[in-house]
Amino acid sequence: MRRLRLLDFSLASVTAFVYLSLYLPILLVFVLSFFSMRRGRVNWETFSLGWYAKLFKNEALGDALLNSLLVGIAAVLVAMVFATLAAINANSRPSSRSAQFLEYVIFLPFLLPPIITGLSLLIYFREAGIPRGLPTIIVGHAVFVLAIIYRILLTRLNALSRSLVDAAHDLGASNLQTFRYIILPNLRMPLLTSGILAFALSFDETMITLFLTGTDATLPVRLYAMIRVGFTPEINALIALILGFSIILTVALAYAWGRNSGSGGNLIAKTSK
Amino acid sequence: MTAYARMVRPGLADCLLWGAAALFILIPLASFLIFGFFSVVSNSIDYRPTLANFDELLSNSSYRTTFFRTMRMAFLVSATNLVLGYATAYFIWQRPPAWRNLMVIALAIPLLMSYIIKIYAMRGVLGTNGLLNSATMALGIIDEPVSALLFNLTAVRITLSVVLLPFMVLPIYVALERIPASVLHAASDLGASEIQIFARVVLPLSLPGGIVGAMFTFVLASGDFLAPELVGGIEGFTYGRLIFSQFGLAFNWPLGAALSIVLMIVALGVIYAARRFGNPRWQR
Repeated sequence: MRRLRLLDFSLASVTAFVYLSLYLPILLVFVLSFFSMRRGRVNWETFSLGWYAKLFKNEALGDALLNSLLVGIAAVLVAMVFATLAAINANSRPSSRSAQFLEYVIFLPFLLPPIITGLSLLIYFREAGIPRGLPTIIVGHAVFVLAIIYRILLTRLNALSRSLVDAAHDLGASNLQTFRYIILPNLRMPLLTSGILAFALSFDETMITLFLTGTDATLPVRLYAMIRVGFTPEINALIALILGFSIILTVALAYAWGRNSGSGGNLIAKTSK
Repeated sequence: MTAYARMVRPGLADCLLWGAAALFILIPLASFLIFGFFSVVSNSIDYRPTLANFDELLSNSSYRTTFFRTMRMAFLVSATNLVLGYATAYFIWQRPPAWRNLMVIALAIPLLMSYIIKIYAMRGVLGTNGLLNSATMALGIIDEPVSALLFNLTAVRITLSVVLLPFMVLPIYVALERIPASVLHAASDLGASEIQIFARVVLPLSLPGGIVGAMFTFVLASGDFLAPELVGGIEGFTYGRLIFSQFGLAFNWPLGAALSIVLMIVALGVIYAARRFGNPRWQR
């Protein structure tokens, strides 16, 4: 019995270590954003919001934030349309080879290292004579988040009773009406949930974006450039703001998921299947 | 044929979906595969097919060293995280349901946080004036700050380990949660000890989750260039950085594409192996 208790204790320690390593670094950045540094050391007497004030005067960052929002929304909308069609297609023809292969293709950009998705699109756009810019970033993000939206929608569709659609048809509904009144209402929550999740992924995406960005940088790309150049204290304030935004997204997601499935525990089971 | 199946016109759906998939996924991938067989002559791309890039790859020892060093690093990250991740997932699984949900959500939240920021935050931990040095100095474990923690391959390994941990814990936890309680009761009713239950029932049934997690971790770690770029310094030069540099200063896209083809083959191999071994027959 004592041996088991020792085991429990070590498992608990590892778990604590894992959670600490996930949260402590980020907490540190957040705390430091309120203080100033002198010769690499934190000056704890200087609590202020000064870096935040400085941040708001930085126009390049404002532009980057707008670009990020624009890219995220556009990419999610594009991916949603395609994912909805693909999911309905796969759900209505479960034994179709074509739909099965399409699923592999949809998963490719998500499974392969992002560097490959990024550089293949870069080469493709260049050879097609399309200049780098926001549209190319939007395509890159749409392709990247496609798999996750598709998977969540398909899971929901597979859980739906097929007789619902058959009944609608028997009652004389047209295809469009069936889609509008039967399928779409059932997809509303999964669309919302996967949309928020995909937006969050797009908002943070950096590796693909670095290949596809022209002169219009997104927020993570701008941040990457700032960090590489060296330390400016504004970085911490900027990071704290982005983290705040991530937390808002997370809360929204948890809320949507809670309404979707009734419990947060299914969150993972549904996506990682 | 049910009405639902008739709702989608297969011909039209295939045309539309495959058209879009070809335009934005397949043709880009194909063009990158083809690009690996081109070369660069006086700063412009020569479109005559050649194996020169692959020849260079095999004969240039610094490319080979970088490749194997990176694969070793990615493997070590996967192995470390498999141990840490399994222990954590197992511990979560043993908690009461209310706790479990909270702990799983707390694991998923960092996944929604900016990747760049997480890497940057690790700098604050590993740096000379970082948290780790300050803490160990305050505790009297060391007298002088250790600068060897940042800007080398070890820093990259630690950073990637931390950043990729959720990708390991979550699939293992899902696998554990899928084990039917009846199976555990049966084992215990038949007189198996706790250790036997773990070794003969829990571990074999949850290991597939670990394999999937290890796959994710390896694929992401082997191709990453942001963490090495930001915490690796000159010593922490990895294969991903080598590829990325071909698209920047070095400006040798065909060579970059050829290097990536090797990375893609490795990634596909790992994904295939994970699908093959990570999915026990009864789950398929």
